[in-house]
Amino acid sequence: MAAIAAAQENADAEVMVVTQDRLPYRRPAIPALIAGYIKGPEGAKVFSPETLAQYNVKLICPAEATDIDPKSKVISILSDGKKEKLAYDAAVIATGGHPLIPKIPGADKKGVCTFTTYEAAVEIVEAAKTASCAVVVGAGFIALEIAEALMHKGLDVYFNVRSRILRRLLEPELSEFLSRKFEQQGLKMLTGEAISEIGGKSSVEYVIHKGKKIATTLVVMGTGVKPNVALAEKCGIELGPTGAVKIDNHMRTSATDIYAVGDCAESPDLGTGRFVYSPVGSIGAAAGRIAGKNAAGASQETKGFLRAQADHILGMQIFSIGHSTTSAKEVNLKVDVHALTAPASGEKSCERTSFQIAKLLTDTHDKIVGAQLVAKKFGSQFAWQLYEAVLAGENREEFLERFNCPRMKMAEALVQAVKSTVVVESVGEDKALKLADKTDQRNTS
Amino acid sequence: MEMAKAIVVNIEKCLACKSCEIACALAHSKSKVLEEAVAESPRPQRMVTVEPAGEFGVPIQCRHCEAAPCVEICPTGAIQRQSKEAPIVVEKELCIGCKLCILICPFGVLRIGPEGRAIIKCDMCLERMEEGQDPACVEACPTKALKLVSLEETTKTKRREASKQLVKEVEQKKSKSKEE
Repeated sequence: MAAIAAAQENADAEVMVVTQDRLPYRRPAIPALIAGYIKGPEGAKVFSPETLAQYNVKLICPAEATDIDPKSKVISILSDGKKEKLAYDAAVIATGGHPLIPKIPGADKKGVCTFTTYEAAVEIVEAAKTASCAVVVGAGFIALEIAEALMHKGLDVYFNVRSRILRRLLEPELSEFLSRKFEQQGLKMLTGEAISEIGGKSSVEYVIHKGKKIATTLVVMGTGVKPNVALAEKCGIELGPTGAVKIDNHMRTSATDIYAVGDCAESPDLGTGRFVYSPVGSIGAAAGRIAGKNAAGASQETKGFLRAQADHILGMQIFSIGHSTTSAKEVNLKVDVHALTAPASGEKSCERTSFQIAKLLTDTHDKIVGAQLVAKKFGSQFAWQLYEAVLAGENREEFLERFNCPRMKMAEALVQAVKSTVVVESVGEDKALKLADKTDQRNTS
Repeated sequence: MEMAKAIVVNIEKCLACKSCEIACALAHSKSKVLEEAVAESPRPQRMVTVEPAGEFGVPIQCRHCEAAPCVEICPTGAIQRQSKEAPIVVEKELCIGCKLCILICPFGVLRIGPEGRAIIKCDMCLERMEEGQDPACVEACPTKALKLVSLEETTKTKRREASKQLVKEVEQKKSKSKEE
């Protein structure tokens, strides 16, 4: 993302991407790969060398950047056993994150997989071919997507989460609601406790949860990522209190002309202005664009990114914007949670004009700082309004006054358009005189 | 396209037959032949949906908004319009599948594509239009409920009808007072 933005910013710039991957691809596509919707790396790729060439970006891969010398502005890379040096004017570090694997005995056995790289995903696809059951140990959306993808492949899937699903994105009531809905769809939930053991001889044969033994040959770890700061640390770049690369509002690191974005770096939170660790794809991409432009000579800064995530899992549309009580606690922000009901509409409430459950979160001044919503269909018509409200920090009461159902309004507008013909009413002379009198009286009294 | 055009619907004429939905999916399939398209993988997707609203059927598709929230929120700039009159399209190569556009569309007309990308969105049949054809949904509609109209023509027609009726009223009043 940064590379393309840089190339677009400065047509004379020579932009190069160094990556260890065989081909740049989209991490969010990995669940689709597992489900079989896309076949090989070609489906998951985001930028083929041809596309990058169109944007004037040179791709150097597979290659590893082993060191950066910020003083002489030289990057050392290792490619195919050969060492090379690249001189740069500006560099963007986007080394991503490593999957966090919980310390469960047996987590090192064969059959325990992660999914942050294409190769790891292929391992899951292969294992899924012969497995009849899988256990997904999860935290967020992608873990749920993978669980759904495996269900689509016909496996019996168990979803394990220590406390509750989507803990950082949703309030407990919504986690609870979704848990029940997912179980109805066939996803077996193992909540409240982490798996205590992964057993088997050399490869996975079973897991133990709350004392119960569950036979399985595939365990997928979706328990978050930690920033990959090896390269940054090596060249003396400062890390923030979160352990990720420290940056400013221009995505600049402590080293001159070196920027950092994505899962390896911190990012400013729009609501509080504080720098947090937020390994979310949309934020990484947005940050990448800013860093790319700045690397090419611009001076863009951001007040912060508003975390907004949405997904469609097992028939439920889930939207999470801004702060939740969990994330608010981390930045010492006091929040109140309010239940949000669907706006009254002329037509009786149904899937299309309503939603399942929603919450508004406000700070001590009744300013909206977060919102969450679960719907079966067309949830975005409400989520859009929630996003704008959180972005603007709107007052809750004012928001509730204008909260409406756009799809209903559209249908109503179309009905009106058809029913109303242009009617010009002629007022009889008598009536006209009477009205004129009245107006006169009003004006002169 | 010189003037701004929009696909509008006269819902009194909509039968909710969904011919528009099939035509849309077909127009966006690889083979463009129904018998082959149903077997294609990934399955061709429709970009218009007929929604029941009271006693009416309302086909809903992307409005190609002027100040489109999807264009503003896309972190990679994948959702763009090429020019003021052009429809809003999703550039597949730049889409990372973050789904923010789905989150933000006020009309819910974006959906996740089968490949994990959020691309299901009306593109105003750009290819067909360039060859002088109408959008697939408009052509398929058996009652002509769906129409491609130029917005300026539509408002002009309304203004003309309004002024005609005004004149009619005034003349009726004149002839009435003549009789008296």
